[in-house]
Amino acid sequence: MAAAESEERALLAQRLRAAVHYAVCGLCQEVAEDKAVQFSKQSLAAIAELTFRQCETFARDLEMFARHAKRSTITTEDVKLLARRSNSLLKYITQKSEELASSNMEQKEKKKKSSASKGGRMHREEEAAVTESEDSNMA
Amino acid sequence: ERRSGSLQHKSALFASVTGQKQTHCREYWFLSPEEFETWDQLYRIKESDGIQQPTLPPVQFETLENLEEISKPKEEATYELSFSEWRLWQNRPFPTYMVDHSDRCYHFISVMEMIERMRHEQGDCSYEREIRPHLRMEDVHVRRDKRHLSTTSST
Repeated sequence: MAAAESEERALLAQRLRAAVHYAVCGLCQEVAEDKAVQFSKQSLAAIAELTFRQCETFARDLEMFARHAKRSTITTEDVKLLARRSNSLLKYITQKSEELASSNMEQKEKKKKSSASKGGRMHREEEAAVTESEDSNMA
Repeated sequence: ERRSGSLQHKSALFASVTGQKQTHCREYWFLSPEEFETWDQLYRIKESDGIQQPTLPPVQFETLENLEEISKPKEEATYELSFSEWRLWQNRPFPTYMVDHSDRCYHFISVMEMIERMRHEQGDCSYEREIRPHLRMEDVHVRRDKRHLSTTSST
């Protein structure tokens, strides 16, 4: 049973690797166009694997940061701590986090108003809009 | 010569930190006259040494506005320590003394090892071949954008 479990974990890891690789290829494509260079497939693979492994470091740190603040839920404050060593990075992440927070607030306000007037159907669409804008922030 | 007495001096320096005789010096953050003398004689890099001041490379973000670079004019020649000059040595763990390698360090070693394996590949990529069958489109953000996956041919 343990063997089956670890097999499943390995498959999940490969699935996640494949997704990260796909995303890395997309981002690198943008950089390649921007800088008028080409990435070899091997360099894309190396960046993908680095990203995949960096996520493990991030996950462990985030968990510890949250625990350090006696929380079990990871928040944006923990994410900011990941960027603490570089002023540029910290400023960038802090800005993004503020943008997200204010747009979330707006959405909540709208939701309150609309749920007061209209039915529940409206919610779904607005939630979709929020995730959409989060996605574009991440990109 | 200047450096020949270094062992003796080192132990003298050590004694001044741990020994009782000079403990009064430790009230201060800065070096005592004796310590300064030792530092000046043995460790301080001077022009006559014919070596350059070692510096660490500055942090730079290619894709962000850089805040850290208050690029001070170099008044002297410096030697920037390199993290990549000996990359061919970095696909194996180096010896440790008191501090073990971290997970992050092992990740680095693994990726250097992976790069080493792919170094001589032409065109088709073994990593891609291995993981591509595991890709599920519902996991990824599909861009309406073009040739995305046919990205490149390695040259």
